[in-house]
Amino acid sequence: MPELALTWATALHRLWQGVIAIDDREDLGDLVLPPLMALPGVGAVWGLRHRAGGEFLAHRWAGLPLESDDRILAERFAVSGEEATAAFGTLAAHGLTRVLAARFDVAGEASGTILVAVDDRADARFVATCLAQVVEVTREAVRRIAAHRAEQQQQTRDALLAEASLQMDAVLDATQTMHRVARMTVPAIAEGCLVFLSENGRPVLHSGVHVDMRRLSAMLDDPAQTGRLAEFAATAVRDGASRNAGADAQVLRARGRVIGVLVFLFDRDADRIPPAAFLRDVASRAALAIDNSTLYEQRRREVAAMQQHLLPNRLPVVAGLSVAASYTVGDEVLEVGGDFYDVVERGDGAVAALIGDVCGRGVEAAALTGLARHTLAALLAEGISPVRAMSSLNARLHRHGSWRFITAGVALLRPAGDGFRADWTSAGHPAPVVLRRRPPNGPGRGGGVPLGILPRAKLGRSRLSLGPGDTLVLFTDGLTECRDADGRMFEESAFAATLDRLRGAPADLLVKELGQAAAAFGGGQADDAAIVALQVGEN
Amino acid sequence: MTEDSAEDIEAIERAIGRSHPGLRAEFFSSGAEMLARLATTRPRLLLLDLNMPGESGLDVIRRVRADDTLADLTIIVFTSSEEPAEADACYAAGADSYIYKPLNFALFQSVLSRTLDYWLNRPAAGNDARIVVPPSGESSAQT
Repeated sequence: MPELALTWATALHRLWQGVIAIDDREDLGDLVLPPLMALPGVGAVWGLRHRAGGEFLAHRWAGLPLESDDRILAERFAVSGEEATAAFGTLAAHGLTRVLAARFDVAGEASGTILVAVDDRADARFVATCLAQVVEVTREAVRRIAAHRAEQQQQTRDALLAEASLQMDAVLDATQTMHRVARMTVPAIAEGCLVFLSENGRPVLHSGVHVDMRRLSAMLDDPAQTGRLAEFAATAVRDGASRNAGADAQVLRARGRVIGVLVFLFDRDADRIPPAAFLRDVASRAALAIDNSTLYEQRRREVAAMQQHLLPNRLPVVAGLSVAASYTVGDEVLEVGGDFYDVVERGDGAVAALIGDVCGRGVEAAALTGLARHTLAALLAEGISPVRAMSSLNARLHRHGSWRFITAGVALLRPAGDGFRADWTSAGHPAPVVLRRRPPNGPGRGGGVPLGILPRAKLGRSRLSLGPGDTLVLFTDGLTECRDADGRMFEESAFAATLDRLRGAPADLLVKELGQAAAAFGGGQADDAAIVALQVGEN
Repeated sequence: MTEDSAEDIEAIERAIGRSHPGLRAEFFSSGAEMLARLATTRPRLLLLDLNMPGESGLDVIRRVRADDTLADLTIIVFTSSEEPAEADACYAAGADSYIYKPLNFALFQSVLSRTLDYWLNRPAAGNDARIVVPPSGESSAQT
């Protein structure tokens, strides 16, 4: 029958083209069964999907439906392994005499059997050949669908890892990082995710997210359940991982240390639970993100403590003067700033206010900051003049060959009339400002060369008078030189207006508001800024 | 579901059609449109994107929860926000689920599918089933 063979060849060609477009096994029956049904003498084509153990998962048909007793008989024939049998069930009533069978298996996938019922007109050998070819196409289609699905799952997992890493690494706050770890995995990976950190050798729950938070809360309110969870997590710490049908625990290991456990809670079919290797990968990334943020926080605390030690813990109470100071950390960086200040009373009744700025940041700058502040404060308290004190510091810096330099200024205040006289000595430091009780304000003079550059200090000197209600404001360049988003400096755009706004404000409020105004102007990108205010009493 | 991108609606419809063929999805470009439709229909799930024009997602949750006839309606919030206070506000307003909406659309489809799997398999009124962690080695996860 060359014509029939030609027709079949065309149908088979279309079938091969068709399977390429299919990405869901549910659609396969409608594609592969009808061509067989179109063969002469075929009255029914039945497709059965089943597991190796004989569990039947799906039934498809073309022609006579596969229902009722026919379904049971067809299943029995399919598992028998025979390739042909006499018509059974209702088939005979429709004039069909024989049933041909062919089975396919694909590793990791449900198997399939196709049955073809024929009457006496059919060329059974030709139909069997066609059936074998269709089974071959179907096997290839199932293999392609499985490969496509695995590829999609891998792509989704890769995308998840990429996005989770991005989100987890985006914050440096440990609590937020742990929350993001849990949140990113639900429900893409699991229905729930709990983050435990090891504290004194015991797992302690720090964050938990579930697709149904009410259920999670109910579970966490139950001491018996939380006890089991802790035990489950402890098992993972001991064994590296712990798994059962409802949960998986992966140890969080960063930089060679076990820092905790990530517990995934599942409420899905077993074949939807991601492989352990993937969960391990997620836990590795989470561990690093959590450890980074924890170390960052620890370092921040150390930096804050160190910064605090570099500044005086209290300022002296001076008759006739209100003294206040502030230190604004401009940027969230992990290094100690180099600004310093102090106010000391001298035995001769004068008050010395000093301020300075070591160039650069970090531990070395911090050491120099401590040295500069303590040297100047100690010498000035002994009654040594600002010029000699700053010259002495300059000589020491120059002798030690430090490449860092220091801008510094000292205001020596002595009572004069109903106010004070301020002698300002400057080593390349920004000039102070006198915020007069009534405008205009009095700008001071800078001058001099930063300490540590020249063998002999070159200092600028000027004198300012302070009347009742006037305030001498000393500051570092972090205050005036911070810039807004358009690159404009605070000194040029807002400094004068801010001072005018703060006229009449008490010294402590003035330094606080001035620091905050500059920080807000710089939008979080400002440098550190130290401010000292010495306000003459009204009486 | 609130969604105002025609392109995303088409992709979401296709994804839902594939993963949950029995489910019919309706899309609304604003909370007001969605609330108006709730006057005439009783859906199983409400999927909200907090960032939508007009009425805020939180207001939609509050208004739905104020209606006793919609008590069985499950409200799921999808958001890219990482503001912890927002999650608390959504749960306080009556949301059932607060899910991270991934930037990657393929990933979002997967998240959407898992979310639907979970909530469609739960009883409509209340979720009495407790999560139970079996001891290591045992295999039951639910009661």
